[in-house]
Amino acid sequence: MNTNKKSSSGVQVEIQPEVLIPDYMVGEIRSKLAYVDESITQADVSPDRIVLHLNPRGQEINASRKAEIISKTQQVVNSMARGAFKPKIQVLEDQLDRQLPYHDDPMPELAAAREVSQEAEGIFTIGPLLSRLIDFFDRQFIDLASSFEAEPRRFPTLIPAQFMERVHYFRAFPHSLSFVTHLRENLEVIDRFSETAACDRGNLNSPMESFARIRTLLSPAVCYHHYLSLADKPLVGGKSITTAVGSCFRYEAINLTSLERLWNFTMREVIFVGSKEFVLENRELARQRMEPFFKELGFAYRVESANDPFFIGEFRKQAAFQSAFQLKFEIRALLPYRNSTLAVGSYNYHQDFFGRNLNITLPDGTPAHTGCAAFGLERMAFAFVYQYGLDQAQWPANVREALE
Amino acid sequence: MPSQIDQPLVEEIQALLADAMKVPIEMVTADLTFGDLPQWDSLGHMEILMRLEEKYGVEVNAETIARLVSIPEILQFLKENEHE
Repeated sequence: MNTNKKSSSGVQVEIQPEVLIPDYMVGEIRSKLAYVDESITQADVSPDRIVLHLNPRGQEINASRKAEIISKTQQVVNSMARGAFKPKIQVLEDQLDRQLPYHDDPMPELAAAREVSQEAEGIFTIGPLLSRLIDFFDRQFIDLASSFEAEPRRFPTLIPAQFMERVHYFRAFPHSLSFVTHLRENLEVIDRFSETAACDRGNLNSPMESFARIRTLLSPAVCYHHYLSLADKPLVGGKSITTAVGSCFRYEAINLTSLERLWNFTMREVIFVGSKEFVLENRELARQRMEPFFKELGFAYRVESANDPFFIGEFRKQAAFQSAFQLKFEIRALLPYRNSTLAVGSYNYHQDFFGRNLNITLPDGTPAHTGCAAFGLERMAFAFVYQYGLDQAQWPANVREALE
Repeated sequence: MPSQIDQPLVEEIQALLADAMKVPIEMVTADLTFGDLPQWDSLGHMEILMRLEEKYGVEVNAETIARLVSIPEILQFLKENEHE
């Protein structure tokens, strides 16, 4: 049975899912409901109950609109939860029970100290202390890359749409894409734009036909550029280890509510390309080489198997596949103030997915395998502050000294 | 090569895979392995597993997803579980 209530900020719709949501799917479904309808501002999910908070944004949410939203919600739940495969979680490192000095939400303190400033949803600027922390973490990851004698590279922020199509990104993660365009090369269009362009509640008022067709996206990951550079040719020497840092973009709709989820963030990656054994061995070596650093840092975290946030249609199969083959291990840092964890990095193995789809071949003619160790630099620094606060006297001595 | 006695079951498996991957049955050789055809990718693999579940009652779990990656493995598994 579904019921409706009015709240001060809009309408609440309570939905009883047609299929019981397994506990391990609650978070995944909550995050995907953000993409069901633009009027959804919040989704509360439990195994047998969903409450959607709707903001009409000037338009009436009548019975037919409600029915449409409920139907789409049921569709998402059915697609993801019906016959869901329970992931087999493998824990490789567990330091979650570390004693920590800070248990509050650091956001008010960070904002008051001007260490973070929000420009828009998911877009934050970062102050000097957090910037130094980010540099400190990045130095550790550069050291990791050096231990593999990884070649440094620099990659652009933009990535061709054509390439993303080749690696099936549109099918797997359509919801998180960020598109790039520009004004059409047309004098009238440019003149009209310069004379009339204005923002209405943050939205640019220019008609869509002023903009060129989309050929480019904002890059969602650093390593993709490396695979693109290796496409359609044999892999020289049969192996490659490289490192790069870059801006990444993943749109997360109403999930972009705090520092924990940024639309625009920075990743340092160490990227392995070669045979299956080469990639798997180096992925594991990367994890083992980072373990002493995280332990000495006093970080409360866990490394455990995980899956990527595939979109609704592909989620059930792809997530089960990733889990069964242990393709992804996440470094999940404790956020003490809400007793939950946040992924701050991951150790990934893609099998020969990129090798096959991009025609990257090993000397024996078979497709290359790929993998990477990826670290979210802002999330690392935020997680550290969530655990140790802003008072540097409370910080581990090795971090204080490194920042002096 | 499968033994003569296994041939009917191998042919059933080949037909199931061809159907799941939407490829002509001639492409599904008796020793086909995950990745040999572009259609036997992660999504194709899960589709195959779900059809095996439907037809033979194979439980789709982490162990079977990771193990049943070739026709010989599928044959062996079915024989161990249902055709002993």
